[in-house]
Formats: sequence, C-alpha cells, structure tokens
Amino acid sequence: MIIEMNHIKKHFDGLGVLHDISFGVDKGEVVSVIGPSGSGKSTLLRCATFLEDIDGGEILYMGQRAAYTDADGKAVYVAPKELRRFRSYCGLVFQQFNLFPHYNILKNLTDAPMKVQGKSKAEAESIAMELLRKMGIEDKAKAYPFQLSGGQQQRVAIARALAMKPEILFFDEPTSALDPELTGEVLKVIRQLAEEKMTMVVVTHEMPFAKAVSNRVIFMADGVIVEQGDPLDVFDAPKEERTKQFLRVFEQ
Amino acid sequence: MTFSKMLSTMSAGMLRTCGLFALTLLLSLPLGMLVALLRKSRLKIVQMLTRGFISVMRGTPLMLQLLAWYFGPYYLFGWSIRGWRFPALLVGFVLNYAAYFAEIYRGGIESIPVGQYEAAEVLGYTKAQTFMRIILPQVIKRIMPSVTNEVITLVKDTSLAFTLAYQEVFSLAKQISASQTSFMPFVIAGVFYFVANYAVEFGMGRIEKALDYYK
Ligand SMILES: Nc1ncnc2c1ncn2[C@@H]1O[C@H](COP(=O)(O)OP(=O)(O)OP(=O)(O)O)[C@@H](O)[C@H]1O
Ligand SMILES: [Mg+2]
Repeated sequence: MIIEMNHIKKHFDGLGVLHDISFGVDKGEVVSVIGPSGSGKSTLLRCATFLEDIDGGEILYMGQRAAYTDADGKAVYVAPKELRRFRSYCGLVFQQFNLFPHYNILKNLTDAPMKVQGKSKAEAESIAMELLRKMGIEDKAKAYPFQLSGGQQQRVAIARALAMKPEILFFDEPTSALDPELTGEVLKVIRQLAEEKMTMVVVTHEMPFAKAVSNRVIFMADGVIVEQGDPLDVFDAPKEERTKQFLRVFEQ
Repeated sequence: MTFSKMLSTMSAGMLRTCGLFALTLLLSLPLGMLVALLRKSRLKIVQMLTRGFISVMRGTPLMLQLLAWYFGPYYLFGWSIRGWRFPALLVGFVLNYAAYFAEIYRGGIESIPVGQYEAAEVLGYTKAQTFMRIILPQVIKRIMPSVTNEVITLVKDTSLAFTLAYQEVFSLAKQISASQTSFMPFVIAGVFYFVANYAVEFGMGRIEKALDYYK
C-alpha cells in the first residue's frame, strides 16, 4: 500500500469533521471520493498531505508510520526532518491551482525539484519539458500563469506536482473552478495518468468521470465513509440509503 | 551674499540631507521586515511588545521622538551628548520609519493567499524557502506603491533634523534667510526637495515597471 489511514479523527474547535475514517490506496489504484459539501473530503486530503494535523488515528506511507496515536490518545507526528520525507511521497492538486504567479511555467515546475530535491537545472528542466509535452502545453513554458486559461493553469499545477515524482497524487475537486468547456481537457489528463497506472485519489463531483476512470469509489457523508467499492456497484446499485439519496439529488 | 554663494553654502546641507535620507532608508527597510516578523511571532509577549513599539512610533510626533533620543541620555543618565547629534537623528528616523515599513510589510504578507503557502508546503519547501522564494517577491510587488509614499514622506521629513540643529538643507535655509533677510534660501530648499522626490518617483516607478511582468 502506498498510503494507509487508520481511524483518523479530526475536529476544528470541538466540531468533529472526520470520525474514525480508515482507508488505504494500493499502488496503481485510482480512487474517487464523492460526497455532499461539508462531508470532510477536503479535510481528509489535507490530513493525508500533512497540511492539517490529525487528532487521532495513524497515517502510514509505504508501510512506515508518519503519524500515530500515543498511549494518552494524542496524535504524534514523526520528527520534522522525517516528515519532509513523507511529504515527498505525496502531491496535491488544488481546486484553485495555486501556481506561483511570479514564476513562469517552466520555473513553476523546476523550482521545487531544484531547491527541495537538489536536482540540477538541466535535469529539472528536461523533466519539466517532458511533462509539459504530456500536458500539451510545451509552448507555454515561458509564459506566466496569468497568461493561461484556467484549464491550462490546472494542467500546469498537475505537472508541477508530478515533477516531484510523488508516489501518489491527490486531487481536490480539480475541475470545480473551471468553466464547463475547460473541465474536459483536465479530466483527459487525469484519465491519461490513470492509464499509466499513476496512483491517485480524486475528490470530484464529476460522476461520469469517477465511474469511468476509478477502480474504487468512496462515498463520504458527515465525516464517515458510508460506502465504498467498485464504481459500477456504488453508482448503479448503492447499498446504503444515504448513498442512494446523494446520487438521486445528483441525477436531477 | 550672491545667489551662487548661497547655493554653494546650501549644497553642503543637501549632501547631509541626502546622507540622512539614504542611511535611514538603508537601515529601516530591512529593520521594518524584522519588526513585521516579530509582530507576527507566535510568542504572545513578543507580539505585544512589538505592537506597543509600533503604536508609540506611529502615535507620537517624530519631532518629539528626535528630541527624546537626543536629550534622553543626558536627562536619564547624565551622559554627555557631545557627538551624539547625528547618531540620535539616525536612531530616531530609522526606528520611526521601521515601524511604518513594518506595518506596510505586514499588510503585504497578510494579503498573500493562503494557497501559496499550502502549495509550497506540499512541494516540500522549508518555511524559510517559502518566505524568501514564494511570499516575499509577491509582497514586494504589492507594497511598492505604499513604500513609494513613505519614501517621499521621508525626503520631506529629513527637514525635521533642524530640531536638533543639524545643518541639513532646511536648517541652513532658515539661518541664511534670517541673516540675509532673503526668501531665496527657502526657494532653493523647496526646489531641492521637489527635485529629490521627482527622482524618487522616477526610480520607484522604474522598479514597479520592472515588477509588472506578472499579475
Ligand atoms: N480550517 C477550518 N476551520 C474550521 N472548520 C473547518 C476548517 N476546514 C473545514 N472546516 C469544516 O469542516 C467541515 C468539512 O469541510 P471540508 O472542506 O472537508 O468538506 P468538503 O467535503 O471538502 O466540502 P466541499 O464539497 O464543499 O468542498 C465543514 O463543516 C467545514 O466548515
Ligand atoms: Mg472540499
């Protein structure tokens, strides 16, 4: 397993957001996470990528513990230097892209590999250009983020995450900030990554996409995993009433 | 006194004004950043002390602060203040301007979207790298107009050095005007300040333009 999260608990000022969530992702697996607004999907991804600290449970990457709960029931993280290694296993693509506006596209892709991983400029640039080619935007290497469409910016953000060679890539509603006609180009890129067996967890509201691309769908509501399984089962024959209700609302 | 004699006497004052201006800027710009970071410290006590410092610096007249720095050592400790004139001026100006710059920096830092920090964190940048490589360049671009304002004010504020009888342009203009019963020295001083600020505007404009390559 690339990542394993067990009995994750998270609350914000007393308000419980994640209640005892457990799940794992195998190498090469593509997992979609769906669920109503406020169900804790973003929080789950933010805990997995260490942007948010868990209050209980444990997080393992590649079978090694990054965080666990001690005898007093308090969540403990490994030392900062160790944590940096765990960070390098995962990448995150944000809804709002969050590109660095003062760097051109190429620099957005090469800066972290050079400054964080210590890659040479030549190596970082060759990796970056290869990724931009794959994303179909190699002609934008010298452009700045503000000169790109939303769809192009999101593809750059995906390339930026991939340039770090993560073991797993998380997406938090990667197409929600895009105009409908631009979502297709981003979904196409993710689909292509799925075919190359990139391990991914995608929070999305694009049900047809989740159904077609993922190996497994997780339905979350109110901070718990209500149901999960093969997309065909979850979408076409949901077992839980809560899932049926959610999907019904979505079909309208 | 001929016009050219006046001009040459005052040019020494212009040099002193420029020196005070340049040194104040050189020291207060980085010190302001330190104050801004202390102001955002996680330690409540540091935060409070910094906030108090900024309040006092901004809440009392600079002229009064200059007098306090100059005469304070004598009245408080009975120290001799010989040779202390310029250092006192510099301390007064630098601390006062650092406080103003600190607030400009803080506003700039707080205006950067949290997503920039999060993107950097996920990519594995250290806190220092995030600040120096991602946040600070964007802050500088955003605060340029406010900094320009402050710098222009500083050019004019250097005239407050006359309070401590420091022989900069304005003090000299006053003296020569009184002794020669002429208004010409003030005209010269006025033109000098205007030209200096014109240069400041031009220089800052160039920097702003150079940062215009992104939005
Ligand atoms: N930093 C925070 N401080 C306080 N409460 C928060 C914070 N972040 C999230 N929450 C709360 O946690 C709950 C879950 O939020 P989360 O963003 O994880 O939901 P979500 O499933 O991603 O929803 P959406 O589909 O709208 O993105 C919400 O009630 C939200 O208000
Ligand atoms: Mg969300």
